[in-house]
Amino acid sequence: MYSRQQTRLSIEGFVYHEADLLDRWKLDEWVELWTDPCTYEVTTVGESDPETTSPEKSLFLIGDNRFRLEQRVVRLNKTSAHVEYPHSRTRHLFTNVIVTDESADEIAAQVNFVVFRTKRSVTNHYMGYSLYTFAKMGDALKIRRKRCILDLEGLVPQGKLSILL
Amino acid sequence: MAWNGPYQSRFLRLDPAKGRFQVHRSAYNDPAVFQEEMERIFAKTWQVVGHESEIRQPGDFIRRPLAGRNLIFVRDRNGEAKVFFNTCPHRGAQFCQENTGNRKTFVCPYHGWVFRNSGELANQNTDYGYTSDFNDDGRYNLQSVPRLEKRAGFYFVNMDPNAISLDEYLAGAGDRLDLLMLHSPAGLEVISGVHEYQIKANYKLLCENSYDGYHLESTHRSYVEYMMTVNKGVDLSQIGGRAISFGNGHACFELRIPTGRPLAQPLPYWGEEACAEIEAKKKDLFERVGPEVGDIVANTNRNMIIFPNSVINDQQTILLRTIVPLACNLMLVRAWAIGPVDESPLLRSLRLEGALSFLGPGGFATPDDVEMLELCQIGYENHDTAWNDISKGFHLGEDSLRTVDPKYNNELQMRAYWTQWDKMMTGGQQASAKLAAE
Repeated sequence: MYSRQQTRLSIEGFVYHEADLLDRWKLDEWVELWTDPCTYEVTTVGESDPETTSPEKSLFLIGDNRFRLEQRVVRLNKTSAHVEYPHSRTRHLFTNVIVTDESADEIAAQVNFVVFRTKRSVTNHYMGYSLYTFAKMGDALKIRRKRCILDLEGLVPQGKLSILL
Repeated sequence: MAWNGPYQSRFLRLDPAKGRFQVHRSAYNDPAVFQEEMERIFAKTWQVVGHESEIRQPGDFIRRPLAGRNLIFVRDRNGEAKVFFNTCPHRGAQFCQENTGNRKTFVCPYHGWVFRNSGELANQNTDYGYTSDFNDDGRYNLQSVPRLEKRAGFYFVNMDPNAISLDEYLAGAGDRLDLLMLHSPAGLEVISGVHEYQIKANYKLLCENSYDGYHLESTHRSYVEYMMTVNKGVDLSQIGGRAISFGNGHACFELRIPTGRPLAQPLPYWGEEACAEIEAKKKDLFERVGPEVGDIVANTNRNMIIFPNSVINDQQTILLRTIVPLACNLMLVRAWAIGPVDESPLLRSLRLEGALSFLGPGGFATPDDVEMLELCQIGYENHDTAWNDISKGFHLGEDSLRTVDPKYNNELQMRAYWTQWDKMMTGGQQASAKLAAE
């Protein structure tokens, strides 16, 4: 029990740091939190089995491998990524951390999220939960897999998912 | 109908000799015009409601919003496709709340009226109070939309009982829809997962944007740079293509663009296994349909709009996008990927990868489109400015409703749309001198 709590505290520390990097738009540092290879996925809303389906079979909102994740950040760092230039303001709240599995080299966890995005005086929020798989790299953790599942019935009224969750 | 001289209506201001084609901004931001569109356009035109593969089995149903209406698209007990208004004939409650499923009957939750999936009222959940011939003329059955017709696997509805047939309405665009049927003898299917998003802009801005070849370099510069990184050795500056106006306001651009198609255009970076499989498919396609049609199916991409709000793109994947107008400054967009029923897992993953990286509200391109459309709508708040411009490629004598422009990145497509739109909204009548002087 005590060790599970230690694991949970480690995960909390990690995702708080992740949230901070995202909110400060330190995206190049955010990429460094990930293993190579890795997957970053956001399922479509209304997907009947969002935890187990795959982007090879179903239409996703985001289905990035390491290369596309890097390219996503390259794009977001450009002034020609019009939707995020100037950058929107975001606040990532990561909570309710549950460690679901732990092995010698991996930890699986479920983390709830609410992300507020403000641009042109309009605030939208994105809420849901993420299923993480962390790789143990010595004393450090890295994200091997992150799948975000939104509690929305469509991107209404958000209109797009131009930020990182 | 060629533009041979100046023309002015409530919405259009044309001076073909000077190559000018302008649209009044009230068409995008006036609530009264929006109401007029609902009556003059959306109550009269054919709109896509769904694809046959979405309701394969008797009892399969899907809930679908359509301009100002809530519908359910259902395969009834006899295997026939039907579309009902999602409202109980008793007191009007929306009786179906599930987005999709399979049902023998629909039960209204309010008083418990029960309807067969073919629409007949089965019972009223009571033993007394109604005569035995209460429903002998069927007036208490679920109400079907006035018209439902199919082309190339797509079902279209029309709220006007006297509308011309779908085939006549589609005019030259019907042939382009039929091309999709050649992708596989086994047929096509809608792939699971829908992109659904709301844009704070007039729906016609997305229509224009959906086949706008001109905005690619500026709006999507970051995407084009991404493609250059991924697709080394492919020269995207060599994009060539034309725009076609098919009649009745339908139009497309048709490109030869080396971005790959799992159907019949392999890209080296997809790997040997995928390339071999695609080459085999291409050979099969050419054997089935001949070299001429085969070349169009294999090597051209199309972005097409069936007037007024159905987008059918034929690219790395087939994409069906319906644009639901909600208000003059608000729309709901829903988009699905479509592919051959018998596609291998490898080619299916390539199809979806293409759909994801460019299209969709989490992709590398669509979010920037959403931003541009919202910026246009915000721009219209400057009421002192009145006109938009759609002139690129316009010239004296252009028949905007039925012609071809050799340049895909001119704006014939939108002029086809606006010419039809103006015709339906104003009857093509010249406006009063007062308006003309504005």
